[in-house]
Amino acid sequence: MNELSTEANKILLVEDEETMALGLEYNLSEEGYEVDWVKDGKAALEHFDEQNYDLIILDIMLPYYDGFEIAEIVRRKNPQMPILMLTARTGFDDKVRGLELGADDYLTKPFHLKELLLRVKGMLKRKSWYSEAVTNQPAYKFGDNEINFENLKCKNEKGRFQLTNYEAMIMKYLIENKGKVVSRKELLENVWNLNPEVETRTVDNFIVRLRKRFEKDPSNPVYIVSVRSAGYMFQVQD
Amino acid sequence: MRLRHSFVYNLIIFVFAQLVWLAVLLLWIYWYVTNNIIFEQVGEELSPQIVVDAPSVAPFVVGIVMLTGLSFILVLFFRHLSIQIRLTKLYDNFIANITHELKSPLSSIQLYLETLRTRDVPPDKSKEFYDLMIRDSARLQNLINSILEISALEGKQNRNHFTIHRVNEIFPKLIRDSVEQFRLPENSLDVKVTGDCEVFIDVISFKMVFDNLVDNAIKYSTGNLKIEVNINCNQKKLIVDFKDNAIGITGKEQKKVFQKFYRIYDKDIPNVKGTGLGLYWAREIIKTHKGKISVHSDGKGKGTTFRIEMPVVKKELIPLQRKGKINE
Repeated sequence: MNELSTEANKILLVEDEETMALGLEYNLSEEGYEVDWVKDGKAALEHFDEQNYDLIILDIMLPYYDGFEIAEIVRRKNPQMPILMLTARTGFDDKVRGLELGADDYLTKPFHLKELLLRVKGMLKRKSWYSEAVTNQPAYKFGDNEINFENLKCKNEKGRFQLTNYEAMIMKYLIENKGKVVSRKELLENVWNLNPEVETRTVDNFIVRLRKRFEKDPSNPVYIVSVRSAGYMFQVQD
Repeated sequence: MRLRHSFVYNLIIFVFAQLVWLAVLLLWIYWYVTNNIIFEQVGEELSPQIVVDAPSVAPFVVGIVMLTGLSFILVLFFRHLSIQIRLTKLYDNFIANITHELKSPLSSIQLYLETLRTRDVPPDKSKEFYDLMIRDSARLQNLINSILEISALEGKQNRNHFTIHRVNEIFPKLIRDSVEQFRLPENSLDVKVTGDCEVFIDVISFKMVFDNLVDNAIKYSTGNLKIEVNINCNQKKLIVDFKDNAIGITGKEQKKVFQKFYRIYDKDIPNVKGTGLGLYWAREIIKTHKGKISVHSDGKGKGTTFRIEMPVVKKELIPLQRKGKINE
């Protein structure tokens, strides 16, 4: 299981069920992660402010602040922090709310240990790739658009706006592969880490959203163009 | 969200229906009065043979009574609908809570089983994991038993499990067992017994009452929890005052805490987990013992006292009850 060097990765585990938390702490530690376990929302925010984490595993039903509130606060302070929601709440509305408020992934209890560990690994891998890519190129300009990949703040001809984590990662990936065709499968593998719950259609939905943000005429895109039967391509006329 | 919307929609429909009703009533009065005037003025000229001795008010009154009846039915309908919506909302909350309470221990058990299957866990760690799994299984069992108890309680269970016990022996033991079960420090509990009497109780059910009171005290406490229990016996009745130093209950909520599925929300301790059935069970259990439970709190931050009042076994009846002759 332990294929990736995870020495430096520090995880904040926010879980009020003691038995669940002890099991998770053991397994994550065995994988080489450093784990801080807190039992409630107040302690979670205190730890988040005081220390640097690479990922947060977050329950929803917590004392003081619930998982949704924590995700929202964390996302405001650090747009790039990977958040995995782990909860017994299986309702579609809960899931949508969690993802809208900034969770990167959502896993319902009971879950398979292997799946959880793979998702954690995937999220950390993406974070690592993204951080590296941002260090090399923290901002990017094309046409009237400007993207700051560090704080996810953007500008287009109409004004300023904020990208979500996934939107930023897709843009980053497309820009890094400027002029090359990127298939949906490639985007799924690299941005979503082949999360089984994500369908190919999701990629198309994100592309539609990005075109609305960066294209003057989203129905006739000039930057994010479709390549029939192949995928998408980012292009800039120099 | 959906329920709140449906309540608002129903309220809008109700207000709209009342406005329509009022408009119809006014139209009815207007129609009756204008027609009456026209009939009086024109009728005489066109057909002097028709003699109206006095204007008939019967249709007018019947119309008004029917319209008022319609409005009354609307009010009744809306009232029942509101109650139904509130109950559905409580029930939905209960389902969400019970799902959470069932899934949490189940998930832990699955996690430990998969851990033991996929890793080389050292023996001491394995033992710890088995203990945790047993604890979660017990939690699941308690929860399932508690849910199954409802039907028995609501159906006024038979009293086959009832036996006579000395209060100063059984009650302190049950309360101490509950406190131990929740792993509270020993010094957090103070039990005082005054007098001596005997009660005719179902011990297992009564243990559930104290489990729920202790569990609530823990859930709604912010600092070091202290529980004081005063047990008073006299010739006629037994009074148990169960007092905690938790967050307290406001006057408005004191009336509701024994309702089925009702849960207190406090912004200082949000997201307290539970099913909303604990105090309901407590009340139903005590009812089957021909007793009653009430709650008192001086307000927020001032703790809560639950009072249980029960009949005691009269000395002359003890031999008969011991023989099981007055079980019902």
